[in-house]
Amino acid sequence: MKFLLLIAKHLRRNRVRTVSTVLALASCVFLFCTMRTVLQSVDESLHNATDSRLVTRNAMGWIFNLPMACKAKIQAVPGVVRVSGVTWFGGVYKDLKGFFPNLAVDAEPYLAMHPKYRLSEESRKAFLDDRRSCIVSRSLAQTFGWQVGDTFQLQSFIAPFRTKTPFAFVVRGIFDTETGSDQLMLFHFSYFYENTGEKLGPTTYAIEIADASQAGAISKDIDSRFENSGTQTHTETEAAFGASFISLAGNLSFLLQAITVAGTFTVLLIIANTMSMSVRERQSEIAILKTLGFSNGSVMALILGEALLIGVSAGVIGVFLSRELVGALPQFPLIGNLILSSRSRGLSLAVASTGFAVALLVTLFAGLGPAVLAYRSRIPSSLRGV
Amino acid sequence: MKAVATIAEEHAIMAAAAQPSIGSEVQVQQVSMSYKRGRQTVPVLDRIDLEIQAGEFLALVGPSGSGKTTLLNLIAGLDQPISGTIITAGTDLASLSAGELAKWRSCTIGFVFQMYHLIPVLTAFENVELPLLLRPLSRKQRREHTLAALELVGLADRSSHYPSQLSGGQEQRVAIARAIITDPEIIVADEPTGDLDGKSADETLNLICTLNQDFHKTVIMVTHDLRAADRAHSQRHLEKGVFTD
Repeated sequence: MKFLLLIAKHLRRNRVRTVSTVLALASCVFLFCTMRTVLQSVDESLHNATDSRLVTRNAMGWIFNLPMACKAKIQAVPGVVRVSGVTWFGGVYKDLKGFFPNLAVDAEPYLAMHPKYRLSEESRKAFLDDRRSCIVSRSLAQTFGWQVGDTFQLQSFIAPFRTKTPFAFVVRGIFDTETGSDQLMLFHFSYFYENTGEKLGPTTYAIEIADASQAGAISKDIDSRFENSGTQTHTETEAAFGASFISLAGNLSFLLQAITVAGTFTVLLIIANTMSMSVRERQSEIAILKTLGFSNGSVMALILGEALLIGVSAGVIGVFLSRELVGALPQFPLIGNLILSSRSRGLSLAVASTGFAVALLVTLFAGLGPAVLAYRSRIPSSLRGV
Repeated sequence: MKAVATIAEEHAIMAAAAQPSIGSEVQVQQVSMSYKRGRQTVPVLDRIDLEIQAGEFLALVGPSGSGKTTLLNLIAGLDQPISGTIITAGTDLASLSAGELAKWRSCTIGFVFQMYHLIPVLTAFENVELPLLLRPLSRKQRREHTLAALELVGLADRSSHYPSQLSGGQEQRVAIARAIITDPEIIVADEPTGDLDGKSADETLNLICTLNQDFHKTVIMVTHDLRAADRAHSQRHLEKGVFTD
């Protein structure tokens, strides 16, 4: 404890330098933990073959629409229970600050295959009966102060979905979700279809299947039915769709890992340089400590202690920031679903511990050179160097 | 030094407990020292012999580069000679490992430097307390000893001040408090008045004389200042690595 205070005093010598070093490493830990969590969720989703919901999209990409006729053909595939068209509307409320996920869906089948959206029977009926109506999650309703019966307008930022007059909606229900923090609005696909001139089919079809273990076979069956059509399809599990959405930049996983490693290595060099400067500036003080009876080993331990204290501080800050961001991710579409569908449903203890260990190892390696320098320094020459 | 109830009592006990030692405190026999500058070897000390009695106050004088500080460093165990024997406080320094030497220094030698060498991020109290961190003392015991040492040098009221908030003379007194905090047998002082004005230099010398006379510390002082050297019991003049007197 008495030496910890001594170490802390030395770190306070140049506060700007210490704080910037801690923040540089904390940002590295933050990046590492957040990336690991997202990539882990993507991996888990990709390997999740028992998902009971499938997503069919245009084989050319998820931004291209699918024909309306696809629905009946998919519905006819053995093993398919229900099908709903789904379009990511991209509606904005007032200005871009008022952006939240809003989906145009075939209300009845969509709600049936998503029991996690809990809605009262009365609201459900009111929603199904009114073509202009919508339902919103409780969190979203709280954000904008909406209540059942309120009306509002949305204009999409996606060019083909933009209309002369914004889409008008009336809130017919407020639903609860598993996390309570989901920001989501659902409205009728038929309303979207009519308002956009009855030309644009859904961008995806959500499909519920009877046997999750048959997901692979059913996906193949669906895609084979459109193989020789003008619009070829690609079907996969909902989780895999989410993962592919995130990985659309190609081998994103590799890219992100490479960035994380490069960032960590850069921070290692910065900290090593900073620690070396700090030790060189204190050569005479180190000589005084040795003069007063501190052994070479204890001086080395003090320098490594300083490095480790930086590592501990950065690790705590980095892990905390990552936990906060990962905790907020479920509010965002797709990536939020990925996080929620992962085993840890957030920043796992293993990832947090690894991030913390990375912080300690980086500072330990960075501090090793300067600590050896301090260990080997000779008292007379260090005192003369003042 | 023993833990005591009050600072005043501690002063009295420190003075009473300090008994004059008998015999040689330092024996330097045929010691030579040189430094390497690139490929060149620069001789500093040439087969020096010196004996200092316990309780003596010796001034080492001589021009710059004569080897005074080098000799002081060797006697205090900060450096090792290339040949010869140094026995300080009954210990042959060549027989100690680096770790043992560090421990021996902390118990046996108190250091006072020209540039004070206080740690700037520590207060006067923390600077004086520093050597005690290596001792198995409680926080309360460390506090008592530290305040007693600061009281002795007349700076108890400045204990929370940082070195930058003290004058040169005050900084040197803090350094002296740090030098005596572990109650060492020997005080080595390298130009202790070299960076001080006349009044502060007198105060510092008075303090060193008190440590020698009242607490029976053996004092070895390197100085250019002839007035300072006159305060010592004896003087040895060093020039080009050999004694000329």
